[in-house]
Amino acid sequence: MNKPNRSPIFGGYSRRKFIKYGSLAVGTGILAACSGGATSTGDEDLGENPIKVGVMYSTTGTIAIVEKSLQDATFLALEQINTNTGPWEGNGEGIEGRKIQKVVVNPDSNWDLYNQMSKRLIDEDQVVCVLGCYTSASRKSVLPVFEEKDSILYYPVYYEGNECSSNVFYTGAAPNQQITDSIPYCYENFGPRGFFIGSDYIYPKESNRIAKAELETAGGTVVGDEYAALGTTEFITIINKIKQAKPDFVLSNLVGDSIPAFYRQYKDAGITADQIPIMAYPTTEEEIQAMGPEYAEGHYTSFNYFQTVDTPENKAFVQQFKEKFGDSRVTNGVMEAAYLQTFFMAQAMQKILKEGGEINTKTLREATRGQTFNAPQGLVKIDPENYHTYLYSRIGKWGSDGQAEIVFSTPAAVKPIPWSQVLYKGRTCVHGSPDGRENPIKETGKDLETKYLEKT
Amino acid sequence: MYFYLSPVYYLAQEAAEGFSVVALANQLVNGIGIVGILLLTGLGLAITFGVMRIINLAHGEFIMLGAYTTFVLQSAFNLDLLLTIPFAFIITAAIGALVEISIIRRLYGRPLETLLATWGLSIVLQGVIKLIFTAQLKYVRSPSYISGNLTLLKDAQGTPTVAISYYRLFIVIVALALLALTGYLLYRTNLGRQVRAVTQNRSMAQCLGVNTSLVDMATFAYGCGLAGVAGAVISSLKSVAPPMGQDYLVDAWMTVVTGGVDRLVGVLAGAFLIGESNATIAYLLNDPTARVIVLFAVIILIRYKPEGLFSIQKRG
Repeated sequence: MNKPNRSPIFGGYSRRKFIKYGSLAVGTGILAACSGGATSTGDEDLGENPIKVGVMYSTTGTIAIVEKSLQDATFLALEQINTNTGPWEGNGEGIEGRKIQKVVVNPDSNWDLYNQMSKRLIDEDQVVCVLGCYTSASRKSVLPVFEEKDSILYYPVYYEGNECSSNVFYTGAAPNQQITDSIPYCYENFGPRGFFIGSDYIYPKESNRIAKAELETAGGTVVGDEYAALGTTEFITIINKIKQAKPDFVLSNLVGDSIPAFYRQYKDAGITADQIPIMAYPTTEEEIQAMGPEYAEGHYTSFNYFQTVDTPENKAFVQQFKEKFGDSRVTNGVMEAAYLQTFFMAQAMQKILKEGGEINTKTLREATRGQTFNAPQGLVKIDPENYHTYLYSRIGKWGSDGQAEIVFSTPAAVKPIPWSQVLYKGRTCVHGSPDGRENPIKETGKDLETKYLEKT
Repeated sequence: MYFYLSPVYYLAQEAAEGFSVVALANQLVNGIGIVGILLLTGLGLAITFGVMRIINLAHGEFIMLGAYTTFVLQSAFNLDLLLTIPFAFIITAAIGALVEISIIRRLYGRPLETLLATWGLSIVLQGVIKLIFTAQLKYVRSPSYISGNLTLLKDAQGTPTVAISYYRLFIVIVALALLALTGYLLYRTNLGRQVRAVTQNRSMAQCLGVNTSLVDMATFAYGCGLAGVAGAVISSLKSVAPPMGQDYLVDAWMTVVTGGVDRLVGVLAGAFLIGESNATIAYLLNDPTARVIVLFAVIILIRYKPEGLFSIQKRG
């Protein structure tokens, strides 16, 4: 009867054991996440011989909040294509009678899972192309897969550029469609001294590096450069540094949950938009709604699309989106890109089928380049040379209702240039032939000028 | 020559460039705000882990549930944030009690199973909340009477150089009040005596007529309720989302483990140490580096002083 004098709950284990069990749990977690994210195909009637398309957005994990909205916009577009409604009206149900079957995977905000799941989509599910990814990290993670297996990814997010792949169609902004116009705007309207902040990963760092070069070319200076760990919601230090540096404006490349926390604590610290306005790239209607409009009032965002864009296509888009997902939802620039790229894909498929072809990577690539579409933001086009998209460049000033007043807009969609011309003069991306997969990066040595999409 | 500069030298140089005593003072004052949040989130864990020795990986989700309680009450009844705090406590405590009865109770003395069960619970809770409220970020309005800043020092032009927002001070006050209340309940009341008796020697307590299962349930529910209050108070500083609890889980564990799991004063010490050192290093270098350094320091501390900074000396 030598029973230990400790109760089972009190003394049964040590800290070391706890650490051991902890690592075990984390390991199990990774396993669980790998087996999760089941493929779902929906239960709607897809008729005969549907076209399989992969949809790859995280609906769980840290990035889920925004990726879920991209998935919603994609689903809306696919539904409109399958039911002959919205912008697809008059084209018949599906694509030349064949409906789109979506194969949905959820990579759980885990970069490795993006890689594995894109492999699965291409090899096992045999999709003809994939719509998906949000962060640059996830895109970089799947890029080798799409290149090795020669499949196509439609990527809907503004990004830092410096990339050129014949396996990706980039339908979000390149640096020259978001940074190039916003920096001179800040310089002229707020002053020469900028304080740059961002989340600590590739997009914000590279984007700020380009913006820094642009600002210095314009004659301004960067008085501070601070990064916060991804997902941080504690900004006391950065705000104190901003107070100390007294800049004319703050350029924010914070992403995700950090955005509402930063704007709230910024106002809480007593800095008003009149004193030091914030110019942001990733802050959209979604985040404004999540922080409460009063915190963003008077600050700015540079984006291709705002919910307030005044086109008949946008009015229809906003209305249809709210009908499907609820009145309280807002649309934003990334969602619009996810929406419009689905139509680019469908139009390309329609073209192939009309000409009696078979949908595969080669024909899809050939048919997608040069596609035009009357998107909610206006007429846009996929550049046949660099596979990025002609997009509008706009600056919005946030109002008390959480919507942006557009204070700057280019007259037409701007030709995309994946490399910042301040940092890499003359470097661009030219795909010589539709199925040419040789090195498409070209050094022209010339100043590449801003070109607008000509209305035809 | 710049190529050969070691990273350490580079960091030191960077630190020296931006240094100013007044700004550092401001940073230290504002560090109190971080201390308040750490204290608040660590307190509930000090009960469930420190007192009861339950490894509760769903602690962050109870914080999240508290924040959602505030959100629901505010959007449905337009209730002031301060008035939602008791409700946040009651609701999370009730859910905590349910969890104790249905899951934790069956796993006492099996730490590995408890760990997995509570970790699974955290995923379930996030999933349920996501189903009810969608993944959208929600926001909570902060009360207008706790806005603005307390200025401690001004420069020659009259602009505040050392200032802290009233809301941060409010968080610190709430955290200290809860700490005092918990200390009182645990060390000065009959219930607290029973809690300590049960956790120290369950069978003896049972022999003496203590209803141990009721005490267990009440203690766990109280710990969860504290997490709920933390969620309610923090909600207006940030935004409310299903995964928000994950951010606080690591910090809360770090606070409790650093301070020493046995004593409440350990939580205060842990929160103060981590919060202020984080604020100082973040001011001198930058935020991500500060986090790495503080985590590293905690690892070393645990290696050489596994019982934490403050701990009751136990006889062997």
